[in-house]
Amino acid sequence: MDRAPETAASAPARTGALRHIVSSYRSEIAIALAIVVLELALGIFVPNALTMGNFSDIAQATAPLIIMAIGVLLVVMTGGIDLSVGSVFSLVGMVTGLVMDSGFSSTIATICGLVVGVVFGAINGFLVTFVGLAPFVVTLITYAVAGSLAFIVTNGHSLPINDQGYWLLNGGHIIPGMPNFVLFCIILLIVVEFLLRRVVFGRWIYAVGSSPGAARLLGIPVHLVRFSVYVISGLLAAFASVLTVSYISNAEGTAGAAMMLQAIAAVVIGGASLFGGTGSAIGALLGALMITVIQNGVNLIGVNSFWQGSVTGLVILIAVLIDRVSKARR
Amino acid sequence: MAYFMSLRRLLAAATAVACVAVTAGTLAPAARATDKKMTVAYVAPSLDISYWQWVAYGVQTEAAKLGMNYVGMTSENSPGTQMNNIHTALVRGVNAIVIGPVSSSSTPPVLRLLAQRHVPIAFTGIGPQPGQTDYTSAVTANNYETGKAEGTFVCNLAKALGGNKVGMLSLPQDRENAQKYLKGAKESFAADGCDLVQVLQTHGLTVNEAVQEANDLLTGHPDIKAIYGMYDEAATGAVKALQTRGLIGKIGVATADGSPETIKELRQGEIQGLFLQEAVGQGIDATQQVYNALTGKPVTKDIPLAEPLVTKETIDSPQAQATIKRVYPPSAGAF
Repeated sequence: MDRAPETAASAPARTGALRHIVSSYRSEIAIALAIVVLELALGIFVPNALTMGNFSDIAQATAPLIIMAIGVLLVVMTGGIDLSVGSVFSLVGMVTGLVMDSGFSSTIATICGLVVGVVFGAINGFLVTFVGLAPFVVTLITYAVAGSLAFIVTNGHSLPINDQGYWLLNGGHIIPGMPNFVLFCIILLIVVEFLLRRVVFGRWIYAVGSSPGAARLLGIPVHLVRFSVYVISGLLAAFASVLTVSYISNAEGTAGAAMMLQAIAAVVIGGASLFGGTGSAIGALLGALMITVIQNGVNLIGVNSFWQGSVTGLVILIAVLIDRVSKARR
Repeated sequence: MAYFMSLRRLLAAATAVACVAVTAGTLAPAARATDKKMTVAYVAPSLDISYWQWVAYGVQTEAAKLGMNYVGMTSENSPGTQMNNIHTALVRGVNAIVIGPVSSSSTPPVLRLLAQRHVPIAFTGIGPQPGQTDYTSAVTANNYETGKAEGTFVCNLAKALGGNKVGMLSLPQDRENAQKYLKGAKESFAADGCDLVQVLQTHGLTVNEAVQEANDLLTGHPDIKAIYGMYDEAATGAVKALQTRGLIGKIGVATADGSPETIKELRQGEIQGLFLQEAVGQGIDATQQVYNALTGKPVTKDIPLAEPLVTKETIDSPQAQATIKRVYPPSAGAF
């Protein structure tokens, strides 16, 4: 007898929660649906596109981009931009490879790589926050410096990774049945999404991006928030890099050259505004996934790969327009 | 007050200019007096690709051997920067130029300028635009013939593995060398009875990109039996994709270029054939040609270097080892 009213009460509660989720993640749901439709359409032309093998390839290809994009997202949400992530990605790979090549363990090499990312993030954060330079200018400078250092540290040579066990960082299974690169993405997604939605610091990020002046009046430590997001962005770019080095067993000076624009594109496709104040980790993940699915689709269909940039650009345009229309309606 | 401020600034500026002029005037003749060696400038299209660094190494070592000074410049893949570099080199008083041009079509203004100044120029890697004759020498790889030879090798590889379908990981097809490779390969595939099912072009020439493309190639065409690589990273990427799928030995791989990485993969049996492109050798030969022009010795106008095939069986032969030393410098890795 007691159960009936409880069930009756929980049903509307569940409906309300679902409505809240749909309302909160409207853009993300639209992107997810678009990816599903794109993949199904691709499957009509290339049936192998819908195999587990291809999904695994897409997941592997997109994992570093997801990790980097989530870092960039946090910066973008504060109204900043991080153009240095691609070069930091390249530099970290070279440093990691170099340290291993010098006889140190892969653990030390990985830590060194991550430290390089944090240092560059801290430099960006310091110059933007405490010196007051424009984020575009600061990260353009560190983009150039890190890109240059990526060649200087090994005189431009790529470095093969000879540690036979290093691939386990990316391809091993901490949880049986789930490759580490998937696990890392899921953990990062949950942590950052929780941070943004449920932790005070996350709300500060939104507040700083929406209106730094108002945030300051409310007592939010704007400088600390801004500095932190650049450090996190550097760290995540570095982590994406070591994961890639682990995957391909190779470090290259140009490895991150194309990734900066892809990461920013992923963030924009995912619904974040370059003016700050909006965005979600799920959106960045889906944006990165969308870019990889397009690349995968273009390759599988056999379209001249010169078209990839045009297709990606068109998708970004559509995503931004849909986002603008949906916000205008609200 | 404002008048005095302006006057003070003017005096300070004039003093600074005078100091610079006096210093430059004092040092420049001294530098000229102590430095009578000829100078060769190497203008690379970019230095983010190992290949051009290795050409630079060839130019630098040969210049040292010939008693020449060396100046290195990079055009950052921009014809405008390339032209600026040529002007800068002339201002610096270089005697000869070795260039890896940004593209063949970017070369006519460079050649016009250098012909006016009577400065010898030799090409490496990429040749001048067809029809141009005002150059000293063009030391390039014979991409068309290599494309044909690699096409035959890859086709035979596919047949030996029980099929006739092959895939290709290509350089960007806006490059003349890539077009020549593809033309040669297609002719061989047609003649030898192989089916080129897909050509995927790289954008960034990275291993990571090649892994993704190789995976897509294998997903779209699981029945291919061999992969034709047009550049070094393509082969390394293909090997990685095949390793992940447990297909090493079941699908063959061959590529052009050569590096410590692909030579290691060749020795391990992961790559079956390597068509060596002599990056260092191009730098050496081009420098020798401009030196000959400067010293009145005979020059060879066009030197299309062959890209010899090496396999696991032939890699340690003296001939192959001598060729590899003309591919990359010792600092790049083991031979």
